Formats: sequence, C-alpha cells, structure tokens
Amino acid sequence: MVMKKGQFKIQQMAFMLMAVTLFFALVGMFILVIKFSGLKESATALEEKNAMLLVTKLANSPEFSCGEAFGSSKANCIDSDKVMMLHENIDKYINFWGVSNVEIRKIYPKRDSTEICDLGNYPDCNVIQLRSKELAGYDVSNFVSLCRKESLDGEVYDKCELARIMVSYLKK
Amino acid sequence: MKNKRGYLQISFAWLFAIIVGGIILFLAIFLSTKLIRTEQTSISAQTGKEIGVLLNPLETGFEVWKTTSLSLPTETRIYNKCNNNGIFGRQIIQISQKSFDKWTETDIDIGFSNKYIFSEEYVEGKNFYIFSKPFEFPFKVSDLIYITSASEKYCFIDAPSHIKEEISVLNQKNLFAEDCSDSESIKICFQGENCEINIDSYSQYVEKDGKRLYFEGDALMYAAVFSEPDVYECQVKRLMQRVKNLALLYKDKANFISQKSDCQSNLDLLKLSNFADALESSKDLSSVSFIVDEVKEQNKGVCKLW
Repeated sequence: MVMKKGQFKIQQMAFMLMAVTLFFALVGMFILVIKFSGLKESATALEEKNAMLLVTKLANSPEFSCGEAFGSSKANCIDSDKVMMLHENIDKYINFWGVSNVEIRKIYPKRDSTEICDLGNYPDCNVIQLRSKELAGYDVSNFVSLCRKESLDGEVYDKCELARIMVSYLKK
Repeated sequence: MKNKRGYLQISFAWLFAIIVGGIILFLAIFLSTKLIRTEQTSISAQTGKEIGVLLNPLETGFEVWKTTSLSLPTETRIYNKCNNNGIFGRQIIQISQKSFDKWTETDIDIGFSNKYIFSEEYVEGKNFYIFSKPFEFPFKVSDLIYITSASEKYCFIDAPSHIKEEISVLNQKNLFAEDCSDSESIKICFQGENCEINIDSYSQYVEKDGKRLYFEGDALMYAAVFSEPDVYECQVKRLMQRVKNLALLYKDKANFISQKSDCQSNLDLLKLSNFADALESSKDLSSVSFIVDEVKEQNKGVCKLW
C-alpha cells in the first residue's frame, strides 16, 4: 500500500508532462482562435473593399449602362428599362458580381412612399431591387442617373432621373 | 561489475521523460509546420482575392485604355485559369509565393464570373502591369484585362499607326512600338514571320507557339498576343457566353419598350445569341462577326438599344 519513492516520482513526472502538454495545447488553440478571427476580419474587409470599388463602376457594366441609347455615352448612367429586364432574369446573375444584392433607389423627383418596381407598376415606382429581397448586411452606394424611353403623343423621348445605386454585402 | 551496471543504467523515469518529451516535440513541430502551411495558403487566397478586387476600377465606361501597376512584397506567380462551366464560365486565379526560396504549393481557386483576364499560364515577379480595354461585339461586352510581368518587355514591330498611337498614349513601361533594339524583348511582328508572335491583320489571326488564335477587333488582338493559347480560347468562349446573354437581355428590352412606347426594334438578336452560343473556338469568330455587323447596322435612330 505504501508508495515507493520511484513510483511517486513517475507519477509526479506524468502529471507534470500532462500539464505541460495541456498548457501548450491551450496556447496553440489561443493562437489559432486569434488567427482565424483575423482571417474573418480580413475576409469582411475584402468584401467591403470589393463592394466599394464595385459600386463606383457597376453603373458602367454592360448589364446596367446606358451606352449610347440616350444620346452620347454617359458615365454613371443606368438604363432602367434594361435593369427591369435584368431583374426578370436575375436567376442567371446570382453571384455574378460577388455581392448579395443590388438596389437602385430614385431620389429625385422625390416620392413620399416606397414602391418596389415590378412589371405592373413600372415606371411609377421608386425602388428597383435586383433580387426580390431587402438589402441585407452592409451596403455602399453611389449616385447615378437613371434613364428610360418614354413616349408622348406618339413621340419617343428620353427621361432621366437622379438615383442611388446600392450594393450590399454580407459580413463573413 | 556492480559499478559498471550502475553506470549504464537509465532509470524508468528518464526513459519515460525522453519518450513522452519526444512525442510532445514531434507534435509541436508537426503542428507548427501545418500552421505555417495554412498561413501560406491563407496569404495566397487573400492576395488572390485582393488582386481580383483591385481589378474592379479597370471597368471603364467608354472606349478607353486604362493601365495600373501592381507591386507585391514577395516574388509571386499569378496563375491564370478559366473554365466554361455554368452560364458565364469562371475566371480563376491562383497565387503562389516564394518562401524560403521555394514556391508555395497552392490549390486555392479565387473565382470571378465577371472578369476576363488574359495572360500567360502564369506571370511571375514582384511588379506587374495590368491594363484593360473594352470589348464591343456589337454592344459592350466587358473590359478585357491584360496582365504582364514588369520584367517582360513586348515590342510591336511595323505596327499600324493607330496601334502605335495607342501604345504611346498608354505609356506602359514594358510595351514598345518604336524602338525595338532591346534583344531580350518579345517581338511581335505585323509584317513578317520571324518573330515570337506574328500578327496577320488581313486574316485576323495571331500566330503564337505554333497555334493560330483568331480575333475580331483590337481588344481581342491584344488578348491573343498576351495570352497562353488555351486561356485565350477559353476566355473567348466565356465572352461569347456573355454575348449570348446580353443579346437576350437586349431582345427582352426591345420587346419591353415596344409595349410601353412607340419604339419598334427589329434587330436579329436571337440569331446573334444562337451564333454566339454555337462558337466552338476562336476560328468561328468570323461567322459571329458577320451577324454582329448586321445587328450593329440595325441599331440606329431614336430607339437605339445600346
């Protein structure tokens, strides 16, 4: 029953070694947690940077831009007729720009209520949501002109309004 | 005899400590190596994504060139890959960086659906030049992005005047059109067949690595010059995938505005979409180009679609 001196030493050393291993394992886990939280932060920062750079140029991408349909080439001009058709075919464009949603909000002339555009109420509406859902996560925006073709007494003319294009991205 | 035995004897405590200590050391080294590899992979992925994000400002509005330089802290290889899967295909870049004089192995793909990068299979160095040019077919399809290493010089010999002018306006340090005395530069000939890259402007092809890469317009000509042939063919197919979908989008727009206004457009966009969809290789570009010219001619007047 009485423990010999040798046995006691082995037990002491085993406990010591277990404690040392546990200590290093904890330190390792701590480092990993810090590393991976840093990785998440940098992934979110990259998403934000992507959205910020994208929003300034998205209006010029062919799926949105006016081109020369409303006279000469205009920078930051969105063809709302084309965007409405893009909205109808948005399933093809999921993840195409790497952002979670794109919304175009008319800001002038101002309307009191928010009306989401669809083929039934267009152009008497003020928000075009590319994906039929609210902007989620964070968003960045840029001012654009929103142009379309109208006709009056059989004569076709161009109508442009002031709008904001908003790009949303999700936090990683 | 007794002394000798005592001298050689290792106590169980020592043996136990050596074995367990060895195991702990082995685990520590193994985990550190794993951690370093994970860190390298994460840096590669981060750099790849960052490069992709930095390419966003190269999206232009008009018929202009844009150039920018990219400097990385270590020697880097940017691998350019492409696939045609899905509706728009995918641009993939992989990053490998030099660490302890060895290239890190990478299998992390950074993918983009809306970018078209033209370069060799990989470009290597610390400094890179990136420039872009819009591709219209007949509407704007995308901005093509060309990546070259700052250490590689390209010299255009006997280039037509508009190309010479474009290169001089671009002012990119590794592109020359006038003085081609540097023996280390890659020669691109417009007349003659004794250069690394030969361009036949009449038949509209670029001959490179014994392969003919057909093009339509200057944007695709530069693409063929700076690209690895397989990358070029894949990207041309991806561009046609986008042409197909843009043509359908414009067709829908034409129907939509004809219902709400008096705009009637009779553009043969369905034909363009079908021809773009049927493209097998750059050799078929001329047949699509025929429809493109027709459609371009039809898109006039107050009801222009683009």
